[in-house]
Amino acid sequence: MAFLELEGIAKYFGAVAAVDHINLSIQQGEFLTLLGPSGCGKTTILRMVAGFEAPTHGTITLDDEDITHRQASKRPMGMVFQSYALFPHMTAAQNIAFGMQIKKQPTDHIKRRCAELLELVGLGEMGPRYPHQLSGGQQQRIALARALAVEPKVLLLDEPLSALDAKVRVSLRNEIRRIQQQLKMTAIYVTHDQEEALAVSDRIAVMAKGKIEQLDQPEEIYSNPNTVFTATFVGTSNQFNGVVESASDGRCKVGDFILTTSRITHLHPGNRVLIVVRPEEVSLLPATHTESANGTANHIAGSIELRTFLGPFTRFHVQVNENTTLTADVPSQQARSFETGQRVILTFPPDACQVLALDGRAQELQQLAEAEKV
Amino acid sequence: MTGAADIQQTQRTPDARARRFTFRWDTFFLVAFVLYLIIPLGATLIFGLSGNNGIDFHSYQQIFSDKDFTKTLLISLELALASTVLAIVLITPTVYWVQLRLPQARPLMDFLSLVPFAVPAILLALGLGEVYSSSNVFVNILSLGLVPLLSGNGLNIVDTPQLLVCAYVIVSLPFVYRPIDNSLRAINTRVLAEASYSLGGGWWRTFLTIILPNILPGVVSAALLTFSTAMGEFTLSSLFGIYTFPIYLDQVGQNDAHKAASLAILSFFFTLVCVLAILLFVGRRVSGKQTNVEIAAAK
Repeated sequence: MAFLELEGIAKYFGAVAAVDHINLSIQQGEFLTLLGPSGCGKTTILRMVAGFEAPTHGTITLDDEDITHRQASKRPMGMVFQSYALFPHMTAAQNIAFGMQIKKQPTDHIKRRCAELLELVGLGEMGPRYPHQLSGGQQQRIALARALAVEPKVLLLDEPLSALDAKVRVSLRNEIRRIQQQLKMTAIYVTHDQEEALAVSDRIAVMAKGKIEQLDQPEEIYSNPNTVFTATFVGTSNQFNGVVESASDGRCKVGDFILTTSRITHLHPGNRVLIVVRPEEVSLLPATHTESANGTANHIAGSIELRTFLGPFTRFHVQVNENTTLTADVPSQQARSFETGQRVILTFPPDACQVLALDGRAQELQQLAEAEKV
Repeated sequence: MTGAADIQQTQRTPDARARRFTFRWDTFFLVAFVLYLIIPLGATLIFGLSGNNGIDFHSYQQIFSDKDFTKTLLISLELALASTVLAIVLITPTVYWVQLRLPQARPLMDFLSLVPFAVPAILLALGLGEVYSSSNVFVNILSLGLVPLLSGNGLNIVDTPQLLVCAYVIVSLPFVYRPIDNSLRAINTRVLAEASYSLGGGWWRTFLTIILPNILPGVVSAALLTFSTAMGEFTLSSLFGIYTFPIYLDQVGQNDAHKAASLAILSFFFTLVCVLAILLFVGRRVSGKQTNVEIAAAK
């Protein structure tokens, strides 16, 4: 049995299922991220684990103990909130000490532990300061130290970086990951920021409409999305709506094009599919290189509409017909020879194509993911 | 040079004039407001001190030698303190509980807090007297047996100071509910409470050590308003037949206008001293904390 087990957990608000019978197993020392758009149920799951919400159905087991109906104050959890939630009338050190005082730990131990935790979060000198005298990033570090002070079995982080500016966000997410690994702490992290999720997690549960769409390692989530929602929500992608023509050859008809893919064994001719190609898998050739382009499985001609320099790579938006614009990420050094308006050929190998069944629910979730990304 | 100076002069003049103009109106309104408050007090003070031969402290001497003055003042003080404590102890946790666990009951609380404005004190007094002196089965059931218990032979609460305190709490409900509710809304109550729970804090501990210190200004404000309301309340105590300070003031006023004016001034200063003492006490605590913070920050 896993360290933390959620079995058949559901939460209804009236007739609406915020969380729809999910199962989730988290190993000890694992950093699991719940990733999804607003309203997907990720925070509700976290709040049920914390004990702030009671599940309508299902059980939560921690270390072989059923904690489903245990009060929040009796659960061995530490929580970090989006809005820091530091107690305004207490200093940073008093905030950290609060949980230990409740546990009636000796004063010497509390003082020593406060100093240790302040050092751990890199704020050794800030103990006597009040929350309003600290920056947002510092406040969240204190909140992290406060949550760790009670030596929780599970650390819960509810969008802890959302209120911070971009630079602090990156440094603090690395800090959180470092501390979690150093303490071998089991952690559940809630975010809607895919970059954050991909950067810090051991595993990611991508969620939509109260269900887990995909639960996997970050690399798999990005490279091998197995649902339309995951493919659309995580990362940038070129998407083609098509129909399977030959499952054995991996051929799909997309408008006037035929795309050759290699992963199509689970589908049949006539099935509607979504073909996903990541921009970094797409290569750009000048229009004159028709011979070398013909040698590749998939090649589409178009003209460069927009060229965006993004540091290590340059993103090209290539218009291939009236309604379709494809994206290609080219290493910036190779991108210098391409200009806006230039005719080019886009090529990508068959194994760069993720072929996903496109049923009614998938279409609906695809629209949801696209709307969230805008 | 002269031309430039002229231009500067002409540019500065309208600004300066506008500034002086605004300042005058501000001052005018401020002075008018202060006079509006002070003139009646000053007139009352002068009237109380005026005698046949100029300033006369005779009325004050009479007041301080009158046993009823001390007696009624102490009764009013006791009633006001009891009402304040009961109102705060009863309403603060209730509003916190509604905010946290029963937000859907907020409209009902808002409505209930306004009811005392709509129900005249005379009706409240008659109603309470009627309820606690009748043996209506319907009332007994609705009150879950509390009314027969409190109005029985052994413990007859009708027209007692205890029931008067309860009536004062009802009358001061709007003044207690609003500041506390506003303070709870101003802080992030739910998240602070959840943070405390996640650290092992129970409901009462969270309320007393986390929520209460952060809504203290609202609670103090509610306490001051309840205290002043109870100290000056006339109708209820009159109908309950309890001899409080405002009734004494009224009786004295019917016989000796000078003495009544002096009493009014004494009553005003007494309440003012109480209020200032509480404000200074709370203010010192806050400023002391800030000083500590500043020292810590400097370190």
